[in-house]
Amino acid sequence: MILIAVTFWVLSPATAKAQPVKGTFLYNLSNFTGAISFSWPRVFIDQERNEVYVIYQNFIRVFNETGMEVYNFGDELDIGSIVDLALDRDGNILLLSYKWSQTADRIDYEITRCNYRGEPKSKTAVNNLPPQYSKFLANRMIYREGNIYLASFATMVVVVTDDNGSFKEVYDILPLLEMEEREKEDAMMDGFSIDKDGNFLFTIPPLFRAYKITPDRKVSYFGKSGSRPGRFNIVAGIVSDNNGNIFVVDKLKCAVMIYDKNFNFLNQFSSRGWRPGFLIAPEGIAIDSQDRVYVTQAGNKGISVFKITYD
Amino acid sequence: MKGLKVSLVIMASALITMGLSGMAYAFHTGGVANCDGCHTMHGVYTGGTSIAGKGPSLLVGTDPSSTCLLCHGGLPTGSASIGGGPKIMTYPFPTGSVAPSNFNSGGDFAWLQKTYTVGTGTGATIENGQTHGHNIIAFDFGMQGDTDFPATSPGGSFDSTKLGCDSCHDPHGKYRRVGTNQSWTIGTPATLGASSLPISSSGSKGAAPTSTTAVGVYRLLAGQGYLQGGVGGTPIAFPGSPIAVATGNGSSEATAASATTGAGQFRVAYANYNGSGATTWGQWCGTCHSAMLSTSAATSHAHPVDVPLSTRGEDQIYNSYVSSGKTGGSSATSYLSLVPFMESTSDIGVLATHASSGATVVTTGPSANDQVSCPTCHRSHATGFKNMMRWNMVGEFITLADSAGNAIWPGSDFGASSTYNQGRTELELRTAYYMRPATYFGPYQRSLCNKCHAQD
Repeated sequence: MILIAVTFWVLSPATAKAQPVKGTFLYNLSNFTGAISFSWPRVFIDQERNEVYVIYQNFIRVFNETGMEVYNFGDELDIGSIVDLALDRDGNILLLSYKWSQTADRIDYEITRCNYRGEPKSKTAVNNLPPQYSKFLANRMIYREGNIYLASFATMVVVVTDDNGSFKEVYDILPLLEMEEREKEDAMMDGFSIDKDGNFLFTIPPLFRAYKITPDRKVSYFGKSGSRPGRFNIVAGIVSDNNGNIFVVDKLKCAVMIYDKNFNFLNQFSSRGWRPGFLIAPEGIAIDSQDRVYVTQAGNKGISVFKITYD
Repeated sequence: MKGLKVSLVIMASALITMGLSGMAYAFHTGGVANCDGCHTMHGVYTGGTSIAGKGPSLLVGTDPSSTCLLCHGGLPTGSASIGGGPKIMTYPFPTGSVAPSNFNSGGDFAWLQKTYTVGTGTGATIENGQTHGHNIIAFDFGMQGDTDFPATSPGGSFDSTKLGCDSCHDPHGKYRRVGTNQSWTIGTPATLGASSLPISSSGSKGAAPTSTTAVGVYRLLAGQGYLQGGVGGTPIAFPGSPIAVATGNGSSEATAASATTGAGQFRVAYANYNGSGATTWGQWCGTCHSAMLSTSAATSHAHPVDVPLSTRGEDQIYNSYVSSGKTGGSSATSYLSLVPFMESTSDIGVLATHASSGATVVTTGPSANDQVSCPTCHRSHATGFKNMMRWNMVGEFITLADSAGNAIWPGSDFGASSTYNQGRTELELRTAYYMRPATYFGPYQRSLCNKCHAQD
């Protein structure tokens, strides 16, 4: 494994209080044959154990905190197309998958609870969902403090259940955003995460915006179109670190932009390229407890890991 | 007072500015979107040093399609209509027996990556995924063109090395329809001249232009005078823009439609009309596949397109055909989304009433003057079958029967012969038929050519 430290540091011309923060390329997630080729995989970070789970083509790989694959599973699973992964409070692995439902006669989602080896143990059925959400289809699953958060990108609905799948509440996001009718046509989430304070973070790429919604449904957003540092071209994944700083991936710009919790632009790192440390159509992003950012890309370029440092 | 007037002016200006800055128009709503959605104006630079965008025209992506797929590639994000939304290519590409899962009308480009081994042992053959559709070049997504047709399009002379999303779709959406839904003209500002108007909404859903605004054309499909890639680009001599209307926003055609009434389907109302900047679907596709364009099998030995279905009574056959061996259907319920026809009307308002889905889908079959054309048998992006066909043309049957006599898709996992599945599982086959249950047709259903020809 070759460690190449490539530092990208751009001072924002528009930052009120510039905070020197930079992203330094560390490595790509690898196994003993070298960097692994992924294209737009799904990444989940086990913050407690600093392990990285990658879902790609119905196979799950587990990496340690130095970016090396230590385990994998999925060959024997028969649960349909695996879409997302989370860990519950007991360390069990939850898998969100799509499978054809004979009873509903359509594709439906299910949650499979597995042990730490990835062996299925039980199903967690979402129950008591209000009738108007009977056709809800989740794209994302996040487990936080005993609750399961299921997000549908197209309908912009987030369903919250308890650990057993019992419905607790629903966030119907689109009405909260107070959009013009015209904007609603292409309103669709891309990139969804929950920060340390329980706020929802997501982007709406066609509107060049990133949103934050508090648990009590207060909405704030930022973002303007443009190609200069800090402006949005095609935004995608979004995540927040323990400092409350927000990281937004731009697919077109091939960069990761950093904002403080008040949405002030701090810095931007990386750019388009096929060499290590550069990105090709980055899409997803995750961050671990050691301020390492994991960025997924297209073009079989794998997952690039950057270290975030504050001077 | 003067100070108050100045303050009011400043306040008004601020209000106007705030209002304008709050108006965010969505992508491709009938016309060109925000430039920053596809182009990066000053390159992607680091540390003050400008690095020019790698792709042409400041697209950053290696090629135009690599830019389009940034938003249009990915896993489906559809809601109740599974696989709807603007995604037209499942990415990352599914592997194993997992099928692409976007069900837009044009088809899912990921089928190009599904290569099947047909049969076993020394007799096994390979069905290359590239036979399933248009092999657009999108280098950043691992799509590098068609090795069967590396130079030119089949039956034509289009440069295969230039095939991309922008070969058919005008990414700048300059084509627009002015007039009314009943009397209109399609063109660009250059061709419309003084009658050109700004585009206010999508033209894909049947919206009507007004006296002050135009609407776009269906799915931004290019028309007369098109230059691929814009100014200085390669001319593609489309004779006009083809016409259709669909509901929703690239909604899913996936259906578990009822065999009795045809309800539950998703209907795109295609139309064939020549004139006023429009062209028939056959003429449009024939721009690059001219040798396949025929109006008479007798003279060209090619399946005719753009001819009335009543030419030899196919309209009546379509309306009465239910499934293999079964007729007696009604024109009120004969519509089959797997075998769409082109309506012989230029009235966009009429098409808009036919474009429907779900429980209220219009299931009326063709009238005498409605026509067969390329989309009747093919999807424009890709399908789960060879030659971009909407149904499987290989093998005698498209459905078989289980031990109880119920219709099944003849998947390899059901023990069916590879003659009928070419290496696909039951779910892959069902997915290729846009989730339609085999029971829609019944057991031992033969090719859907029979929907018009009823030779079964």
